[in-house]
Amino acid sequence: MSATPPAIVTEGLGRDYGGVRALDALDLVVPMGALVGLLGPNGAGKTTAMLLLATLLRPTRGGARVLGHDVVRARGPVRRRLGLVFQETSVDGLLTVEENLRFAARLAGLGGPEMRAAVSMAIERAGLGSRARQPARRLSGGWRRLLDIARATLHRPPLLILDEPTVGLDPEHRELIWTILAAERRERGVTILFSTHYLTEAESADRVVLLSQGRVVADDDPSALRASIGAEVAEIEGPGAERLVRALRGLGATATVLRTERGYRVGIARDREAVIELATVAAGIERLLLRPASLEDVYFARTRGEAA
Amino acid sequence: MTAWNAVVGIVARDLARTTRQTSRLLGGLARPFMWLLLVGTGYNAIARVESGVPYHAFVFPGIVVMAALFGAMLTAIATVYDREFGMLRLMLASPAGVPAVLAGRAIAAGLVGLAQGAIVLACAPLLVPVTPARLAAALGALVLAAASSALLGLLVASRLRSVENFAGVINVVLFPLLFVSGALYPTAGMPPILRLLAAANPVTYQVDLMRHAFGQAAEFEVGQDVLLLLGTTAVAFGLTVLLFDPEQRFLGRADGGERRPDGRVGGRGGPPDGPAVDALDG
Repeated sequence: MSATPPAIVTEGLGRDYGGVRALDALDLVVPMGALVGLLGPNGAGKTTAMLLLATLLRPTRGGARVLGHDVVRARGPVRRRLGLVFQETSVDGLLTVEENLRFAARLAGLGGPEMRAAVSMAIERAGLGSRARQPARRLSGGWRRLLDIARATLHRPPLLILDEPTVGLDPEHRELIWTILAAERRERGVTILFSTHYLTEAESADRVVLLSQGRVVADDDPSALRASIGAEVAEIEGPGAERLVRALRGLGATATVLRTERGYRVGIARDREAVIELATVAAGIERLLLRPASLEDVYFARTRGEAA
Repeated sequence: MTAWNAVVGIVARDLARTTRQTSRLLGGLARPFMWLLLVGTGYNAIARVESGVPYHAFVFPGIVVMAALFGAMLTAIATVYDREFGMLRLMLASPAGVPAVLAGRAIAAGLVGLAQGAIVLACAPLLVPVTPARLAAALGALVLAAASSALLGLLVASRLRSVENFAGVINVVLFPLLFVSGALYPTAGMPPILRLLAAANPVTYQVDLMRHAFGQAAEFEVGQDVLLLLGTTAVAFGLTVLLFDPEQRFLGRADGGERRPDGRVGGRGGPPDGPAVDALDG
């Protein structure tokens, strides 16, 4: 009996824009049904990777298969089974909410009663019922984004690619969007690849892929990523911080070291007690805080930090 | 079926947008009537056409074509707004493919041009001698004029990078196409270089065919006009499919001499609710 094939497989996937290498070589396997977060600074290659997987850009090198189809040779089959949310909203303000969804449904290939049923179900799922007849230009930014989500899911695709789906939204609309996406996963086993700058959103992902300057710099589940920079993080501030960090390095207690505005953020790999002891007696330490590592620490350590 | 549904969706959306942009709609309708009133009536007093028809009757077929030309081409060129404000990427992401997207845009633009031309054509009994047969022939000529204009507009839009170029296109493409077509004055009296340009101008054949329909003196045979317009429509569609670069929308645009890989042009936002075409529309 064969295992379920992955939803996304990429091998050395890369794209250049003229002389600019936007995505170097992405190797990625996204299992069917997984929730995978793509993180990284602006310009890291997240959007490029998503557009390549959505068949909207051609790769300069490498290749990818989405739901078993090659993204260059079988663009039609990929697009039919894909729901896509772009970084910017794709809503026509002159059309009503319902007309926007009808337009999207027809673009997805639906027509007649099938189209009407899909639109009314999408309106219901997104809670847009009372706004269905409103011109979309009257919607707030949050409702426009919900309309985008309703559009991307109305043809019930098995895979969603969402480029910063919650950026700029208030907590209420962010929660609404994640509730809809959770229902898609629970009810239909949808695979979701999303990018975000809200690192707390990535905490609930099955996998987090961290990109920097077009390369994958970390790829694991959130807890393993946190563990990779040390069980705990020490925030050290004061004129003696640099000397203390050197001493900790000498002890071999640090996993990662990141210079911050006011001092250092150090991933503690081992010898927690020794670290505390050393910091207590060290001169010129104004602040020492030991706390559990977060994805934000991973983000900074992998994109800006130096190995210990 | 996928492609057909996409075409229907694009046509329905474009027509809904057109009917809701009141100022653009009224402007598009007012333009030919203003030309008829200001140019037709004014020149009627001083201009004498060789064939002996009054100037307002001579200019009427050209004004019908002009209504279709502007309506169809401006609607087709408005693709550049969709390109800039995000709706085009939605269409390009559909499984229907580029030819279906372009066909939908072309059909919608053609229908807008046809409707605007038909409204002017409905005034024919007030200005020119008509019979039901002549009106039917004029309607046929109008369909060809609207279709070929829509495809020419789409061809222009395929290479247009940003909305800033829109006003320039009207001045550099639309007005020359109209003026060097025999719509407002006979091509026979033009200098040789302009006559050459007129012969290469598809709008010349739209006007010529419309003159045939109204029983006016024309320069080319009906068959020649029809073949040239069908050929223009087909070649323009083929060229548009070839020249249209679907990736271009996603590459962003030159901004300070540098492409922005994230495809962002400026701030975050959606398409314009009522595009600036209102202000620039001829």
